[in-house]
Amino acid sequence: MLLKKMLRDILKNKSQFITIFLMVFLAVFAFAGVHAYMDGMTASADVYYNNQNLQDLWITSENFTDEKIEDIKKIDNVKDVERYIRIKANVNGSDKYTNPMTNKKLDDLVFECNFIESNNISKMYVIDGEGYSKDKSGLWLDYYLAKNIGIKVGDEIELSMEGVVFQEKVMGLVETPDHVYFMKDETAIFPTHTDFGIAYMSINEFPKEYIYNKILDKMGIDSANIDNKEEFLKSNIPNFKVEEYYAYPYAIVDVDDVNKLNETKTKIKDDIDGIITATTREEDISWDGYQREAEEGETYSGVFSGLFVFIAILSVVTTMNRFVRKERIQIGTLKALGFKKGKITSMYVGYGLFISIVASILGIILGNLVIGNTFLEMEMSYYEIPYYHIVTKPIVYYVSVGIIAAVTFVTYLSCRKVLKEPAAEALRIERPKIKVRENSFTTKKFFNKLSLSSKWNVRDIARSKGRTLMALVGIAGCTMLVVTAFGMLDSMKAYMDWEFGTINHFEYKLNLSEDYTENQYDDIINKYGNKTSQTVGVEFKNNDEIIMKPLTINDASDMLQVTDHNRKAFKMNDDGLYITEKMSATYNLKVGDEVEWHIINSDKWHKSKIAGLNRDPQSQQFNCSKGYFDTLEAEYKADSLYTNEDLSGVKDIPGVNTIQTINNLKDGMNSMLGMMYSLIALLIVVSIILACVIIFNLGSLSFGEKEYQFATLKVLGFKNAQIKKIFVKQNLWISIFAIIVALPAGNFITDYIFKNAIGDTYDFSAMIKPITFIASAIGTYVVAYVVNQFLGRKIKKLDMVTSLKGNE
Amino acid sequence: MENIVELKNVSKTYKLGDNEFKALDNIDLEIKKGEMVVVLGPSGAGKSTLLNLIGGMDIPTSGSVVIDGENISKYNENKLSDYRAENVGFIFQFYNILPSLTVKENVDLVKDIVKNPISTEEALKAVGLFEHSKKFPNQLSGGEQQRVSIARAVAKNPKLLLCDEPTGALDSKTGVEVLKLLRKQCDGNNGANTVIIVTHNALIADIADTVINVKNGKIESVIKNENPKKIDEVKW
Repeated sequence: MLLKKMLRDILKNKSQFITIFLMVFLAVFAFAGVHAYMDGMTASADVYYNNQNLQDLWITSENFTDEKIEDIKKIDNVKDVERYIRIKANVNGSDKYTNPMTNKKLDDLVFECNFIESNNISKMYVIDGEGYSKDKSGLWLDYYLAKNIGIKVGDEIELSMEGVVFQEKVMGLVETPDHVYFMKDETAIFPTHTDFGIAYMSINEFPKEYIYNKILDKMGIDSANIDNKEEFLKSNIPNFKVEEYYAYPYAIVDVDDVNKLNETKTKIKDDIDGIITATTREEDISWDGYQREAEEGETYSGVFSGLFVFIAILSVVTTMNRFVRKERIQIGTLKALGFKKGKITSMYVGYGLFISIVASILGIILGNLVIGNTFLEMEMSYYEIPYYHIVTKPIVYYVSVGIIAAVTFVTYLSCRKVLKEPAAEALRIERPKIKVRENSFTTKKFFNKLSLSSKWNVRDIARSKGRTLMALVGIAGCTMLVVTAFGMLDSMKAYMDWEFGTINHFEYKLNLSEDYTENQYDDIINKYGNKTSQTVGVEFKNNDEIIMKPLTINDASDMLQVTDHNRKAFKMNDDGLYITEKMSATYNLKVGDEVEWHIINSDKWHKSKIAGLNRDPQSQQFNCSKGYFDTLEAEYKADSLYTNEDLSGVKDIPGVNTIQTINNLKDGMNSMLGMMYSLIALLIVVSIILACVIIFNLGSLSFGEKEYQFATLKVLGFKNAQIKKIFVKQNLWISIFAIIVALPAGNFITDYIFKNAIGDTYDFSAMIKPITFIASAIGTYVVAYVVNQFLGRKIKKLDMVTSLKGNE
Repeated sequence: MENIVELKNVSKTYKLGDNEFKALDNIDLEIKKGEMVVVLGPSGAGKSTLLNLIGGMDIPTSGSVVIDGENISKYNENKLSDYRAENVGFIFQFYNILPSLTVKENVDLVKDIVKNPISTEEALKAVGLFEHSKKFPNQLSGGEQQRVSIARAVAKNPKLLLCDEPTGALDSKTGVEVLKLLRKQCDGNNGANTVIIVTHNALIADIADTVINVKNGKIESVIKNENPKKIDEVKW
């Protein structure tokens, strides 16, 4: 019987229960959905790394000879080692392919060519074509790039490696676990998979011509003058074997026990001669970039979905509390009829339990299917992981159970409170309790000048503190989420302007080859100007630690600018090193302090004064002018040249590895913003729906509590419009106050997200445009106004007789 | 005296699910200006419905309700609001005063809807509550709250004062006080004010000028009371 009553009550109070359902559903939907794709990202990568045996260590040296490789293999805990040569090559005839993002023909397509021996570590995952073997000729190409620009298995590709041209047939389209997240070079901020890809070839395919040229260059012979280089070298070098001149600067290591990884790393560095770097997964761009992306997403999505849950719980428990109190007389009646307390309680607890269980289950299912799958697909378009899936971690179930438990517990407490009263008392309508002391201030001074409706509303707010607070938090929370969502977009756009409008102030960037000749360099600067820079790795002493950071020596003046605290460009003086503000804070280095440092690969230590601070949105490092660098008597060798000359038709420049346009860089960013737009659109939609539901729910609760008072006013002769004005006034006050609270809170949350979600290398902060604040404030007000006007229509339908009788 | 209330062939039917309930069944009624009228009848007889129709809180299903020459059954909602504001004072069994407003503010309310109300001070003095002006309703006893309700009703200076069980929630002594105030209202304004009291308490009938008995939605009798009792003589 009581079950029947419960179902009928739910039907009777459907608008209230629909709002409860929606609030629980939206919270779980957003929370489960965001977690499904974030956790899916992490779990999918873990499986992939494991299956494809991602390396544990990356090591570099001038050349990993056979002996060195054997020595490394002998080190305890080393399971396997593989070496390779990596050189960037331009693809000739790249205009055959189209950039799918810009729909323009590619004028610059670069492959990072990896010439390998075996492939047991970081194994290729073949998506199309045949598997790799050292004995096979041809090329195994990055699947994502191939898919994006239309390269197929069997296509012939002509590659140009510093003037050495060779052809390879595409044997397979693959993905590798150490290239899950990669970019063309350090200036790119997000993978585009449109003009840069990874290629693998057997070491047997390495163009010998390339080695011949290098040997001839070293011998001081112009290779262009030699017709048959192999014969020439054989006749000039006794027992000449080209393979002996191969230099393998890279190797990857697989270990048995990752817990001993640091010891193994140290052992390799100590025992093997000429090890330049040894990096673990944590220091690898691909592994760390992917992890960071997942963690960044987790932070900002966590903030959003956490707030959704918080706001929804608050609203739902308040609503259930009010609902039970509204049912007071019925509870009293059931009690008077002799129903046991437990039975009555279980019935009322059942309302919240039933609704929140159904809403949670649906929220989990749809959150996974809609948000999880859609966003995982979008997110994965930037990463090279062949198989991925959403994951529902226990936290999602815990949160859902937590919501259900909170709703159930509050319902239980509310019910218990009513049941504690004697049945006779519960049978009487609960009169609003006006605490005289609390309201005495409203009968004095300023308040006396207020209109009656204002006084009435002030006292109603003072009386219904819980509801008011919940309304305030609910509306402020939703507005804050909207401000944050739009604020993130504003901030990213401001970052774009900073990075690509102020700092990078050029049309083209030429990434120079490591081994360009003086003649080549002279030719380049004669043609394209002398705005250059060099970035080197340096180690500096900080207390007892030696810390590695990049140093950019800037000779590009207005084309590669440094910016101050307010993101305005300034010229560095020639009197010391500049460090970024974030680095200054991290290492407690101030202007005027002296820092001791050396360039990696050089034993010469320098003592430099910190001459100033600058800000850089994506690299925390040292900077100095070339003028200062020269005073240190260190060798400056430019690795980048910046120019505004038109290079649109230029494919190959001797001594230049790659030519980048500023638009390539912006494309990468826009691509990332595209993903962000979608996520933000979702967050805005959920925030607005939640805001509408909360405002509607509050209005509805507020109306229910005052129904008989409104009926009285109506009987007295107040017009509907007058009563509506009184009703709407309070809710609009709360909305305005919530907006005032929400705007700075939104700014704070955006700032928090950028400072905490984004890695230490970035220096982002909230940069929200005033129009965003204005639009969010107006938007919330309009939503509140419209919803309250809609609710105000109830006044017209208010049946005076029924309402007043109900009161009796 | 001329009629202030004229009901002709008035019926009121309520729909209760699939069933219909006839609260008033084709009744005719006339009430003269300046009278104190008591409508008597058992629960469900239709007396409150009758009061609601006269007060413009409800409209008849058929027939006409003419108040002071105006057929209010043809009024739209807006006009009915004006009618209630300008012509009718209501007093309810459970007072229906607004708990968030002080005594004075509850009476002040009428200033927002009536063009020429009696001053709040005067209305409160008339019910003997002027000293309690700044109190909130929950600081008052039931009788005092009902007096606030009367002050609010009389502050409008209404032609009709409609009372639905005004003493229903009060003890005998307090009830007498309230009835005295109602009589005073009826006698004021040169005897032009009309008070209609709906009750199931037959003892109150003794003080009325006219007693209307309602039963099963019909007017069973209209009795003119030539010698109404003094209110102090009434006890229950």
